[in-house]
Amino acid sequence: MPVDVGPRAGPHPVPVTLTINGMRHDLTIEPRVTLLDALREYANLPGTKKGCDQGTCGACTVLVNGRRIDSCLTLAIMHTGARITTIEGLADGDRLHPMQAAFLEHDGFQCGYCTPGQILSAVALLAEKRPLDDASIREFMSGNICRCGAYKNIVDAVAAAGKQNV
Amino acid sequence: MIPTKFEYAKPSSLDEAFALLAEHGPDAKLLAGGHSLIPMMKLRLAEPEMLIDLAGIPGLTGITVRDGRVSIGAMTKHATLAASEELRQHAPVLFEAANALGDPQVRNRGTIGGALANGDPGCDYAAVMLALDATFTVAGKGGTREEAASSFMVGMFETTLSPEEVLVGVSFAAAPASAYVKYAHPASGYPLVGAAVVLSMNGDAISEARVGVTGVGDHAFRAGSVEKALAGVRPSDRTALEGACAGSAAGVDVRSEPAAGAGYRSAMCDVYVSRAVLAATRG
Amino acid sequence: MNLVGAPIDRVDGRRKITGTARYAAETPLPGLTYAVMVESTIPAGTIAAVDAAAATRASGVIAVLTYENAPKVEQHKVAGMTDRNLPLLQDRIVRYDRQPVAVVVADTFERATDAASLVRIRYDTSVPALSLAHGSGYHPEHSHGDEPSVYERGNVDAAFAGADVKIDRTYTTPVEHHNPMEPHATVATWDGDVLTVYDATQGVFGTRSRLAVAFGIPPANVRVVCPFVGGGFGSKGSAWAHTVLAAMAARAVKRPVKLVLARPQMFGSVGYRPATIQRVTLGAKRDGTLVSTLHEVRSQTSIFDEFVEPSAELTKMLYAVPNVRTINTVVPLNAATPTFMRAPGESSGSFALESAMDELAYAVGLDPLEVRLRNHADSDPSKQLPFSSKSLRECYSVGAERFGWSRRVPRARSMRDGGLLVGMGVASATYPTNRSAASALVRLSSDGTAHVFAGTQDLGTGAYTVFSQVAAEELGIPVSSVRFELGDTNFPMGPVSGGSQTTASVGNAVSVAARSARDRAIGLALGDPQSSLHGHDADAIDVRDGRIFLRDRPDVGDTYAAILGRHPQGEIEERGDARPGDEKTAFSMHAFGAQFAEVRVDPELGTVRVVKMVGAFASGRILNAKTARSQYLGGMVWGLSMALHEITRTDARSGRIMNANLADYLVPVNKDVPSDFEAYIVPEDDPNVNPLGVKGIGEIGIVGAAAAIANAVYHATGTRVRDLPIQPEKLV
Repeated sequence: MPVDVGPRAGPHPVPVTLTINGMRHDLTIEPRVTLLDALREYANLPGTKKGCDQGTCGACTVLVNGRRIDSCLTLAIMHTGARITTIEGLADGDRLHPMQAAFLEHDGFQCGYCTPGQILSAVALLAEKRPLDDASIREFMSGNICRCGAYKNIVDAVAAAGKQNV
Repeated sequence: MIPTKFEYAKPSSLDEAFALLAEHGPDAKLLAGGHSLIPMMKLRLAEPEMLIDLAGIPGLTGITVRDGRVSIGAMTKHATLAASEELRQHAPVLFEAANALGDPQVRNRGTIGGALANGDPGCDYAAVMLALDATFTVAGKGGTREEAASSFMVGMFETTLSPEEVLVGVSFAAAPASAYVKYAHPASGYPLVGAAVVLSMNGDAISEARVGVTGVGDHAFRAGSVEKALAGVRPSDRTALEGACAGSAAGVDVRSEPAAGAGYRSAMCDVYVSRAVLAATRG
Repeated sequence: MNLVGAPIDRVDGRRKITGTARYAAETPLPGLTYAVMVESTIPAGTIAAVDAAAATRASGVIAVLTYENAPKVEQHKVAGMTDRNLPLLQDRIVRYDRQPVAVVVADTFERATDAASLVRIRYDTSVPALSLAHGSGYHPEHSHGDEPSVYERGNVDAAFAGADVKIDRTYTTPVEHHNPMEPHATVATWDGDVLTVYDATQGVFGTRSRLAVAFGIPPANVRVVCPFVGGGFGSKGSAWAHTVLAAMAARAVKRPVKLVLARPQMFGSVGYRPATIQRVTLGAKRDGTLVSTLHEVRSQTSIFDEFVEPSAELTKMLYAVPNVRTINTVVPLNAATPTFMRAPGESSGSFALESAMDELAYAVGLDPLEVRLRNHADSDPSKQLPFSSKSLRECYSVGAERFGWSRRVPRARSMRDGGLLVGMGVASATYPTNRSAASALVRLSSDGTAHVFAGTQDLGTGAYTVFSQVAAEELGIPVSSVRFELGDTNFPMGPVSGGSQTTASVGNAVSVAARSARDRAIGLALGDPQSSLHGHDADAIDVRDGRIFLRDRPDVGDTYAAILGRHPQGEIEERGDARPGDEKTAFSMHAFGAQFAEVRVDPELGTVRVVKMVGAFASGRILNAKTARSQYLGGMVWGLSMALHEITRTDARSGRIMNANLADYLVPVNKDVPSDFEAYIVPEDDPNVNPLGVKGIGEIGIVGAAAAIANAVYHATGTRVRDLPIQPEKLV
């Protein structure tokens, strides 16, 4: 008797339902579509950025169930049922998330392209309860490249937001 | 930068996974965290027609310590290992490797089983498993088998895992006097030299040492001559320690790449092994 | 009001931190299709055969363009420093590795990428020219702008021969790729003969003219839009092949096309800093005063275009040396055309010159800072003109003090911190002040707000913010009442955002336009019987918070809102044009700075850690101290990166780039940059340079930084690394 192998999908486009920033998104995509491309090209949420598409630069960082991950290194279809947070979902209406406000105040960005990833990574860093000294922040923010070189200001922003949090 | 087309399945039991593996044979690939496999698929170094996501199978995660033995489920994430107080206590070598691997985002998705089953020569864990003399638990349709880490890892991207099997866990004896240090590629974070050391001490002298090295050759290896030479050495005796660690990469076909040439890498291998020994004695 | 200079937050910041800033690739257009470029896999040869059958048949594919079927377009540049000859699928010749050889268009990104991998191309290969050191080169007509590529003042050979102390060294710098975080991207759409392009660019007008030339249509038929650009650093200063190819594909498929470069393609056809081999000789008296400097620069260009890395320009003017010769040689290679990369010339050249100055300091037994002070140029020795302003001495002293230069023990390899070697180094920095013609438009409305338009770009530099400040100050309204828009060829023309010239160029235009609008509004009030200011003298008027009033009787006034509310159109519009005057004939104009670095070197491993960097810079008037500091710090990170990290490696035999991705091409991450890392703004008032008194700040931060670190490494280890980057292997 053949064993039931559970649901299978693809290779052609299939319905995939994602919960992004608390909203349900019904997409029709191939299984090979990364979470990053699903956000940018199918869900009209281009705030998440594509920098390297190989998990090195961190521009595509999103939160999945509160944890930071590289959305370019994971498939959208793997995250049905998960809670996905992107930069578009971080502020509470017009009220900025304290981390966003800290990045603005400390000028923690220049061109802005790595910024959504930096901010989400920093939000996760606080949730991970990392020590908030300079060395620790630098270490745990090193999955996000900022080519403009705003690192010092990023560290200042994370430290400031961290103090508020405590 | 996009994989070839594939079918995706998310079985909810190992039996379902075995059935899918039997159906597709070598055209199927198992997806653990995806951080080794998905990049390879994007580069077309892997082109599975069936991708089997193991995330729906219960019982493949977690760290347990019982009777001086540590067992870890294959789907346990690097981040879980990196945050485990138990691991820090019972196997600092693995705790340190997990913390030194990739970046926070990568550690949140990548799994220990995925990294080891992939057979990547640059995998930090490969050296650690050798030094821990770990046992790998492999499940197949006919039941499970156990295999020593040293025979599991055959070569570059090569293991003894058959296309119909699943790596479900690793286990090893607790190793409180152990450490992992590495010289990371400044961009990718992969170890150019990664040294894992597990020690048994007799007072302030080493009674037995196991030394695993990764990143240096085609695959991770035990530095046998160094292990022998370390026996009886007091790590506080710098000269004796450095003498014992000399030639750690002897006989190995040392990889050369722009970020670190072969000569530099061999020399650094000795330095990192001796620093790992020192770190392991500091408990 | 002192809005200018205030360290206010970026006015475009909120859009960037909420993910609502739209970059080129994020332009939503109905019916959008996806284009993917296929690149050559050899550096030299011809295409023998193309097999596009499988790609054409693949699901979702709309078109496959190759040299066999691509529409005819103009490949050659017309004019201008940023214009380039482009490979546009017009012939079968392969001139470099990663040259575009096909474009695939499909309905989704996945299908276009997949199909691109199915295009089969067979090549007849020929022997590539790959060696900068051994290739045959030539002296270009100019090294930079109007500067001759061979320059001499005095007699270098005679002076060097008679010098007490002689330094003769060769320094090399590698190919580096800009790698802005936003990959180059173009969305192109045609409406009949009218083309609209959303492009990641540092110059919307340059891109417009390149597209107009390529398609043989009037520039007025092309609109280029770029409200946000995710970094450029020079790579987006020229219109490259992919932008034209995207437009070509859109025309071919009659639908909008999006073409985004994959990260490896960022190492292909969008420019890079060319490798250099630089010989520097210094002849000096025993007291450290220079009698001669020779700076020979050999850099690569492509076999189909010319770019000169002007590494010796600063050597002409940085020190008071009577005898100076500089020579530029370029060697055409089978490589893509190089381009401007953050401080082109000054960054690579300062590594050589400022390393040599350090070598001289040890040779004469003087503090490296003292050697520089002894050779300070009070006026520009090459142009024989006074500097419009120069605060280099202040930069040295402020930097040395903040850095703690006095802690430095003179002898090399004499300072330790536990098992680590400690070293400190210094270098000078300079960058010319450039300026081009620019225009801006100010529209003042009856709601009291101003809408300002300028066809410029903000690469993260702070242009949105400082121009809002300039407009607000001139108009006498709060910054929050200014809406500034840029990045559109429908706006008044501005120059490429390069050469640190944007603020000097566009800022002065915004200032003129805003002042005209203010004056016109004042004129309206004075001539309006309904205004309490009616009949008063314009000279007696002041403006603050949107209210125009009599300076001596502030209670008598009228607001912009009220004045324009009574105006028939409800708004007024004024255009401002600004162009350089004759200041260039009267002054030499440069920003200056001093860089200090402290390193720890692990002698067993050869690893270098920068633990402290201090830069002190004088760049005229600073419009926003917050964004200016960020620019300086960013430049210093680039210098650190140049010193320790960056190198693009080309296989010497195959001519292929070996590390075309961010896992193998090193750029600094957060933990590579120390927390003890600061840029100090040295106040400088320059009434001569331009009406706003500003000099550029975007590039000087990198100048000298690599040399300061290399000099610190020498001080720590006693090993002089003359070949960047300073990899650990070079120190053990």
